[in-house]
Amino acid sequence: MSAVAVEVRPPLWRRLIGFNALTAVVFGIGGYYLGWFIGHHINGASVAYLGVGGIDQNDLSVFLGYFLGVAGFLIGMGFGVYPWARLRGYPPSLREKEQQGVGRYFGLCTDHKVVGIQYLCGIGLFFFIGGLNAMLIRVELLSPARQVFPAGQYLTLVGMHGTMMMGIMSSAILGPFANYFVPLMIGARRMAFPRIESLTFWLLMAGGAILTTTIFFGGFPTGWTGYQPLNDQANTGMDSYIVFFALVGISMCLLGLNMIATIVTMRAPGLTWSRLPIFCWGVLSTAVLQLLAAPVLIAVLGMAMLDRTAQTTFFIPSGGGSPYLYQNLFWVFGHPEVYILALPGFAIVLELLPVFARKPLWGYRLAVAGMLGVTLLSWLVWQHHLFMSGINSNLRPFYMLSTELISIPTGFTFLCGLMTLWRGQIRFTVPMLFCLAWFFNFLIGGLSGVFLSDVPSDVTTHGSFFSMAHFHYTIMGGLVFTFFAAIYYWIPKMTGFQLNERLGKIHFWVMFIAFNSTFAPLFAAGFLGQARRDVTYPAHLQFINDWVSISAFVLGASMLVFLYNFVHSLLFARIKAPVNPWSSLSIEWQLPSPVPVHNFDQIPVFTSDPYGYGEPSRPSALPAASPAGGSS
Amino acid sequence: MSDVAHPATEYSIVEGEPPELMGRNLNSAGHLLASATAFFFLAFVFAYFYLRSLNNDHLWRPKHVDPSLTLGTLVMALTVASALLVRLGVLDHRAARRAQWRLKGALALVAGLIAIVLQFVEWVSAGFGPADGGYASVFIGWTAFNVLFVLGTLFWLENLLATAFRYRRIPSGAPAPGEASGDAGRLGHDIADPLSLVRSGLESLSFYWAFLAGLGVLAWIVLYLI
Amino acid sequence: MAPPAVTPASPSVAHGKRFLIAWIVLSAIATPLVAIFLGPAIPPGNDSVQASEQVFSNTVMVSISTPVCVFVLLFLLYVFASFRSRGSALVDGPPIRGDARIQLIWMVVTSATVLFLAGFGTYELLKSGSGGGQGPNAAFQPAGYKRALDVQVIGQQWEFTYRYPTYGGVEVPHLVLPADTLIRLHVTSLDAIHSFWAYQLGVKADANPGVDNIVYVETKGPLQFDIHCAELCGLWHGYMFDTGHVVGASTFAAWIKRQQSYFEPVMRYLPPYATNYLPDPSRRAG
Repeated sequence: MSAVAVEVRPPLWRRLIGFNALTAVVFGIGGYYLGWFIGHHINGASVAYLGVGGIDQNDLSVFLGYFLGVAGFLIGMGFGVYPWARLRGYPPSLREKEQQGVGRYFGLCTDHKVVGIQYLCGIGLFFFIGGLNAMLIRVELLSPARQVFPAGQYLTLVGMHGTMMMGIMSSAILGPFANYFVPLMIGARRMAFPRIESLTFWLLMAGGAILTTTIFFGGFPTGWTGYQPLNDQANTGMDSYIVFFALVGISMCLLGLNMIATIVTMRAPGLTWSRLPIFCWGVLSTAVLQLLAAPVLIAVLGMAMLDRTAQTTFFIPSGGGSPYLYQNLFWVFGHPEVYILALPGFAIVLELLPVFARKPLWGYRLAVAGMLGVTLLSWLVWQHHLFMSGINSNLRPFYMLSTELISIPTGFTFLCGLMTLWRGQIRFTVPMLFCLAWFFNFLIGGLSGVFLSDVPSDVTTHGSFFSMAHFHYTIMGGLVFTFFAAIYYWIPKMTGFQLNERLGKIHFWVMFIAFNSTFAPLFAAGFLGQARRDVTYPAHLQFINDWVSISAFVLGASMLVFLYNFVHSLLFARIKAPVNPWSSLSIEWQLPSPVPVHNFDQIPVFTSDPYGYGEPSRPSALPAASPAGGSS
Repeated sequence: MSDVAHPATEYSIVEGEPPELMGRNLNSAGHLLASATAFFFLAFVFAYFYLRSLNNDHLWRPKHVDPSLTLGTLVMALTVASALLVRLGVLDHRAARRAQWRLKGALALVAGLIAIVLQFVEWVSAGFGPADGGYASVFIGWTAFNVLFVLGTLFWLENLLATAFRYRRIPSGAPAPGEASGDAGRLGHDIADPLSLVRSGLESLSFYWAFLAGLGVLAWIVLYLI
Repeated sequence: MAPPAVTPASPSVAHGKRFLIAWIVLSAIATPLVAIFLGPAIPPGNDSVQASEQVFSNTVMVSISTPVCVFVLLFLLYVFASFRSRGSALVDGPPIRGDARIQLIWMVVTSATVLFLAGFGTYELLKSGSGGGQGPNAAFQPAGYKRALDVQVIGQQWEFTYRYPTYGGVEVPHLVLPADTLIRLHVTSLDAIHSFWAYQLGVKADANPGVDNIVYVETKGPLQFDIHCAELCGLWHGYMFDTGHVVGASTFAAWIKRQQSYFEPVMRYLPPYATNYLPDPSRRAG
């Protein structure tokens, strides 16, 4: 953002009018009340246009309000221009709003680098809200008897924390980092569908806002799984959950589609499949899961919506439906979803280890096979979430086997990662520390997962804090740690500024110790009989819970260290980062920081993968053709 | 360090992509969209057979729940006909018979719209409501979401038709930059050739529409015949 | 920038051998310790046959996990100690891109472990149902299942009640079971999904409306056990707990007789005993 073109800028108020986030919010709220109004007239219910405050059971008006609200939001953001032009037969422009300036971060922008930074900030915001919910949950669990929150509010907190984290964080790596770096790594100037790329981000933001509004409608009691028939029973706060998750589903599906299309069609010459950076392979396998799993989620939420509005009986046993249907379909989505969260972590770890071990990635093909194997197997395991439910009990041995089989391809990732470290020249930078923590966390998470996959052991651990600790080890330990690794690794490229290394290390150590101190005792709490999502627990578990709560507060505080580092380094200290601070061979580090809008003067030609550390033909990974315009 | 990019490079110099890229992107998107759609309707197929096998409270399908086979068949047939017409339109477009493609495309659009109207007629005249048991739920849910998908696809078809009609007189090549996007105020890196846009879109649409029509046939078999 | 120096590919120390010996020694020490001291201490304890089996399963799991855990942690420690970059100069490691032999060994070992675990789990599961809900028509039943005592567990928002079909279908608010008996629990629900978790008995089975979820448990001696709902079922889910008792056969006989006479007046208002009950559509109840 150094050399902004000098032009006469109109006054501020004039610049605020147009398609941007402000207009979008106004249109969104307007659309919401329009839908609310229509819904009330269709249902003939009493008219209460100011929906805030009272709990209204007219689900139709809430759904219509949300749908029109989202439509208004997107139109205000500028997404209506394209279909309107196409409707009248004008071909679209390929790129929109890519001019320099802060304004492009608050609207539709087709520059994949802008979208990446939008994602980083947007996801950070909702990660913060979700984390705050977790803190409040831990406040409540300080005491088994004294209730800080009423039972309903507590369930809403639990549900919002879970739903926010599962929904928004599905895009935690793919949103910011894959959008930003996949086109660079494959030598492209853009994503395959830049407008859809921007759409996925704004859908996610609209969804996050909608989930937050559940508190105005009385919250929802179901947790992130939204099991029927509780879902059908619940008041209108449930509608926020349904609309949120459906929007996340659409966003994920489109994000996956865009990623696959980009990686398949837009690779630069010479970038064969066996030279593709392992990060792109991880993104590709995640994208496949997103593309195919999310539609199942959207469908099942559509059924839930019809049950709540049109009075269908998909999930109502006394009306010819079955709650099992929901559980089955939800987990057909839900288990791939778990790997949507875990696989990007594998990808980041395997991508970063060679840089900081100064060795080529060990067993490239095995690593790819591992990720693809996980992708495939994750479709065959969903009923292990239902071992105690009485569904198809004769199939339990199969699901036990298929679930445990997943540890084989996951083991490939471990082997490749560990052997990359072997006899390397390891540098313990901040991103590397986060990657190494992944090994520890995912080891614990994976081994505890074996207990859950075994039916006899699952009897006690299922639905207890054990399973909760398990998936926090895999998702928080596997995804969030690598998320931070990616931030510390790539921020110098994305912004051109350095993050403070000392603060980064403080952040890491506090986070790592507090994380383990928070979740390791929860394995014990689960085994000792503490059920998930309970507002209260047996009195003799208070010591464990207090310990965990205090650790969780420290964990929360470590995020503040990061936040301070992030804001201070990027907005105030502003120390210029070297072009290639990590001496990486990957192509994105050969570009200027921040990356120019057009990425490459000329599309590069690849001759090898980016892991040639220690090999004589080293810089051959990216002999770009001579620059066309600039001088050097 | 090899210099691969410079911040000062003129944007217009680096713009310009291989012309077949748009077609490749749209082609892969069509296939990916089709697979996503398949998984979406798989949920309904699963719901159908699952609820049918459970038959909770003997409410899978009470006697009066019996949608009109005639209307259902008509909806299915019109969808298939529309997809066929689009396919034939693709062949016309490839053979540079642009007027024929426009005619077939328009007919396909009309056929699709009639199918949707008939679907509404069927809902209203079915004699049962969404609350009448498992089959009724699946029937309403499946057909309703199918209509949404069909509407989206018809919108896509309409876009291509509109572009084809708007540029019916030019042999090929670019219109003026501002004009091309329909928004003169925009900074344009516009798609130079609207006709290539129609072609690549049409190829992809034809695949997706045929796939969706196939899913329509599946719905017809499952909901009416089994 | 000049290309960094490369460390020689041929190792001066036999790192691999050294690490493997350390791993084998450490595992050989740690695994028996874990199996003897940690495994049996893992809940749910030995208060029913099923619970004991779970303890055994947990012991096997945790014992197998130990060498894996030792491997990864020792590997990391070894690597940190031996292969850290010293000095500020940028040095590249040896360009090793893989080793087919190691890959093969790794695949074989992990596959064998996984197959063993799955086989072991299946065996344990089929032996007695291991205390998990197995639905209305499981193919495998524990030995002597025909003589099992039927007890129905009905979940509703937000309490469990229990019916004894063998004793006229009497419905009671607290669970009492006879000692040293194989019991067939029929878990069902009237509204949302609950999960019946009898902690010390090692029993967990979801209560679904319209489903008869069967779970077998063979009690041992007299016992007081905790019952808890383990599936989020709405507002007061956290308070849906209870205490059950396993009592001697004669005490049980006396108790059930007392319950029958006590609940006699209300029995005619109850629906007849069935494997499940379909109440009015559960819409908008709370």
